[in-house]
Amino acid sequence: MKIVVCVKEVPDMESKFKIIGDSKIDESQIAFKMNDFDQYAVEAALQLKEKFGGEVMIVSAGPERVAKEVRQAFAMGADWGIQVQDPEVDAGDSFVVASALFGAIKTIGDVDLVLTGVQAEDDQAAVTGVMIADMMGVPHCTNVVKLDVDGKNMKVNRELEGGKNEVIEMAMPAVLSIQSGMNQPRYPTLPGIMKAKKKRLDVKKAAEVGCTAVGAAGSKTSFVKMFFPVSDHKAEIIQGDPKAAAATLVNKLKNEAKVL
Amino acid sequence: MARILVIAEHRNGALSEGTLELCKAAKAIASAAGAQPAAALLSKDGSLAAELAKYVPEVFTVSDGNLENYTADAYTQAVKAVVDAQDVKGVVIAHSYDGVDFAAKVAMALGCGIVSNCNKIEAQGGNITFTRNTYNGKIQEQKTVKTDKFVATFEKGAFDKEEAGGAGSVTAVSASISASRTKVKEVVETMAGSVDISQATIIVSGGRGTKDKDKYNDVIVNLAKKLGGEYAASRPVVDSGWTDAARQVGQSGKTVTPKLYIAAGISGAIQHVAGMKGSQCIVAINKDPEAPIFNIATYGIVGDLFEVIPAMMEAIG
Ligand SMILES: Cc1cc2nc3c(=O)[nH]c(=O)nc-3n(C[C@H](O)[C@H](O)[C@H](O)COP(=O)(O)OP(=O)(O)OC[C@H]3O[C@@H](n4cnc5c(N)ncnc54)[C@H](O)[C@@H]3O)c2cc1C
Repeated sequence: MKIVVCVKEVPDMESKFKIIGDSKIDESQIAFKMNDFDQYAVEAALQLKEKFGGEVMIVSAGPERVAKEVRQAFAMGADWGIQVQDPEVDAGDSFVVASALFGAIKTIGDVDLVLTGVQAEDDQAAVTGVMIADMMGVPHCTNVVKLDVDGKNMKVNRELEGGKNEVIEMAMPAVLSIQSGMNQPRYPTLPGIMKAKKKRLDVKKAAEVGCTAVGAAGSKTSFVKMFFPVSDHKAEIIQGDPKAAAATLVNKLKNEAKVL
Repeated sequence: MARILVIAEHRNGALSEGTLELCKAAKAIASAAGAQPAAALLSKDGSLAAELAKYVPEVFTVSDGNLENYTADAYTQAVKAVVDAQDVKGVVIAHSYDGVDFAAKVAMALGCGIVSNCNKIEAQGGNITFTRNTYNGKIQEQKTVKTDKFVATFEKGAFDKEEAGGAGSVTAVSASISASRTKVKEVVETMAGSVDISQATIIVSGGRGTKDKDKYNDVIVNLAKKLGGEYAASRPVVDSGWTDAARQVGQSGKTVTPKLYIAAGISGAIQHVAGMKGSQCIVAINKDPEAPIFNIATYGIVGDLFEVIPAMMEAIG
């Protein structure tokens, strides 16, 4: 089985965010990591490979530093990967990124499954996987929490609101977006980390994977600005050291809010 | 006049609440863009058309056996049929599980831009600016669409529900919908458990910040017991197996409205907040002063939950 996992690098959401000129975050202040949801996608791919044999490829778009996240997936057990490293892709919207990832997937050829996380923690758009499926001309299923494979046929649980799942039958090739909790992503082992350093990572420009939709020109949406949310409600922050604050809080819960 | 077209969401013979919110969103976009709100009902037999027409001046129905269950393939064909037959400027879809599954496919079919997960719109000279949550709710961004048409998905609760009142026209759009490549077999319940946290009046809920199973038990479960309440969790805690799925609060878990909800080590992602924002009094304990949970809490303590919670236990006596 040939399985591609799309992996994205995102900021650690506990970082201290600073916005520069309404238009971008100050990356010098940010620690980066693999998108949480993608770890579940990598694990799902590795489990399929362990069961049915085959190969797991990682595809990612982003600047040079993104290689760290690809190699983390290698250390978990993925075989090799393609990094589309092109500022013109990074400057594009989801459609551009999907086009670049699709281009990279096409160069691999005969892929049975493409797995993505359900969404990126930074953009929270949840559109890229569906776009890739459409470009490949294959079916997709989003928010997958369970997957049974029998030859080319799959039984897939799609998460719904309020703890329900829809059980779906579909066939490969397909694109699945993997929801957190589907499995327990493994930690890279030390030998895994050593091996990862030597695994093949092809670095390509957009044009080298046949992607022509790049930059602002190739995008279908435009970015206007970013800002910190202004909330019309803010919690009453209780000051003091933990002991004093806790005592004040308990007192307020008893006598002010009257909920204790 | 061009239309802003809501794709109605329905299951088990009822429109979703989100659909009524979308009708409100479509009305706001339409008035800004010099268009008119409308809605599409994609179903087996169009039986909800009259109900939907109470909320928008025009309803278009596509009825086909292949639309009996929601599927991305069938829905995309049906939306495309309506857009091809009518003058449609924008398509608005819920940012729900179904919506996320087909909205981007519709944008691809129409060759247009999509802005997903929006919570607000602004008009600037007929051009619509969409505001959306990014970075786990820490930053908002604004986007516009460059193509003639657009697709936008809206967060649950972004708009109030539209009031019923009108009696819009209903027009059938003929289309032949081919069978979906994904086949829906059944819908199953996965969170049935021994406990029903939705009945509790006091809930102590722990998030990823509780670090591991032992510590979660130590602080969250113990405080809940001390207060005579139930303990609950955000999704990562359940994903990691620190507690049962039946105790998960949020979009994909339970909706709770206790008198007191204590959120410790929970950042306040929209999917979590969706399940607890109706609580009477919300306490947030988080070491990050910028955590979005403080935007909905009644009281907040910025600090280490492993210091604050033991101190609370002591203060309760
Ligand atoms: C389709 C979909 C459905 C989802 N459904 C749900 C759902 O039903 N319920 C749900 O909860 N999530 C759901 N999520 C996940 C959601 O997006 C968030 O990822 C999740 O809610 C984050 O959980 P958290 O706040 O515990 O973790 P994080 O966002 O990682 O936050 C941890 C917080 O703990 C704080 N912290 C860390 N250490 C300490 C300490 N020592 N003391 C005090 N504070 C500390 C940090 O500052 C941080 O704010 C869903 C996501 C998707 C895409």
